[in-house]
Amino acid sequence: MNPADIPFLSASELAAAIRAGAVSPVQAVDAYLDRIDEVGDQLNAYITVCADEARADAKQMEAEAAAGNFRGPLHGVPVGIKDQIHTAGILTTDASKIRADFVPDADATVVAKLKGAGAVIIGKTNMSEFAMGDPISSWFGPARNPWDTDRNPGTSSTGSGAATAGFLCATSLGEDTGGSIRGPAANSGLVGIRPTWGRVSRAGVDGASWSTDTIGPISRTVSDCALTLQVIAGHDPNDRYSRPEPVPDYLDGLDAGVRGVRIGMVQELMGGHGLRLDDRSRGAVSVAAEVFRELGAEVVPVSLPIAPFTGPIVRTITSTERVSLNPEWLRERFEDYHPNTRVAFAVGNLIPGQVYYKALKLRALARRQVLQAFREVDLLIQPTSSGPAGLLSDEQAVIDNQEMAVRSLRDGSFRGLYSLSGCPALSIPCGFTGDGEGALPLALQIGGPHLGEAAIFRAAYAYEQATSWHERRPPAL
Amino acid sequence: MSDLNNDEIRALAKAVGLTLQEPELSQVTHSLNAMLAEMAAINPSGFSQEEYVAVVQPADLEDPE
Repeated sequence: MNPADIPFLSASELAAAIRAGAVSPVQAVDAYLDRIDEVGDQLNAYITVCADEARADAKQMEAEAAAGNFRGPLHGVPVGIKDQIHTAGILTTDASKIRADFVPDADATVVAKLKGAGAVIIGKTNMSEFAMGDPISSWFGPARNPWDTDRNPGTSSTGSGAATAGFLCATSLGEDTGGSIRGPAANSGLVGIRPTWGRVSRAGVDGASWSTDTIGPISRTVSDCALTLQVIAGHDPNDRYSRPEPVPDYLDGLDAGVRGVRIGMVQELMGGHGLRLDDRSRGAVSVAAEVFRELGAEVVPVSLPIAPFTGPIVRTITSTERVSLNPEWLRERFEDYHPNTRVAFAVGNLIPGQVYYKALKLRALARRQVLQAFREVDLLIQPTSSGPAGLLSDEQAVIDNQEMAVRSLRDGSFRGLYSLSGCPALSIPCGFTGDGEGALPLALQIGGPHLGEAAIFRAAYAYEQATSWHERRPPAL
Repeated sequence: MSDLNNDEIRALAKAVGLTLQEPELSQVTHSLNAMLAEMAAINPSGFSQEEYVAVVQPADLEDPE
């Protein structure tokens, strides 16, 4: 195989090629490092590229493979890790000046699991400062969307989206608080899943909001996403909130289809209700519903009255919880934060306790409505976001009126149901804004009940195989 | 509830140990007013009977070991 073609394999294909001896782990890592050298500056997807460590690990994997020993399903596969996830001996900055020199002593559990499965950590990906959801707040400059480098690759796991879509890693990890896995997946034309809260350990991950944070994969295909989650999911005694249930084989029966599956389309997120929704996104999701019908699923309308309000509820909870984590930095190093982070953290500090408590009560209501819906249907579908990726230059704008702030809060409602309920949700490409250069991805969100990841993957895989959106590549990359 | 103005926001911030200056001060004012207004407007049917429960249920915390 031409080494330049290796980065364009899916993670699953690369893992299979390595196991078959068609590609060596050293070849795989070198191919990705060459590509990072070639186009990495255009995307600014990485804060740290672990070239030396990755080459050394690849040599070790190669020696083990030569002896017939394969650590696991990602043996020799290069993976990007969001920079709030600890990596032993490797800089972990949270994209902040405040953490610019922090080198953890130990790996996060998810990193240890990836290494145990044979993955090679190729770099630490860029992100919003402290995962606050702003695409320009990174101390290291913004990551850029491979589909249009003037645009937001999706927050807050900006670099994980950019690196995966730009073929600078085979698969990646992000962290989703209010949508930070699903947003990058949507903006960058990828598949990303926010797992059930507690399905994946958060030990060794710098928190954003304890009651909503989840770690999950951002990948190029459904199979890659399922494979990556398979490796990192499971109970961890170092995270007392991780769930004890055994992890099913997400790849087993992935092609079972959706015949007979009952899918609810969330009516409140398909237009109106005070939310702005791009007509192209609404149209693409409506067409996706027809695809599911053609595949044998029953698609029915479902009403979740709380859905349009979930953005402000999520932001109230996460803003309050976030500023409780490092209060000393707010007082002693306030000027070291990006200006946008200063605004967000100041707001979090000033939210009255009664408003936070109201948000918690509303979360209980949202959770009840979501779980009730899953007694009527197997899965829920809706747009992942209000529209395609926005311009980074728009994100530079100062919030100079209240309406602008309201829009930002309400846009979060497209992802709020799952952040509040703890249920899993996956984003998958369901169209583009056009056919030529400059066309941007549109995204469908598929939600499921607690621990319903396998059913979500089956539906997403059926949709992916029935369409060709995942076959498109960003222009000039 | 009427909107908070910059002076009131500055005073609230001082109470929690933060010193806010422009241009962030006005942005905090707009953002907090937006959040408070949005939250005040959310009063769905049945909400008065709703009470907060942790997202984690006791059974979730049983150690399988």
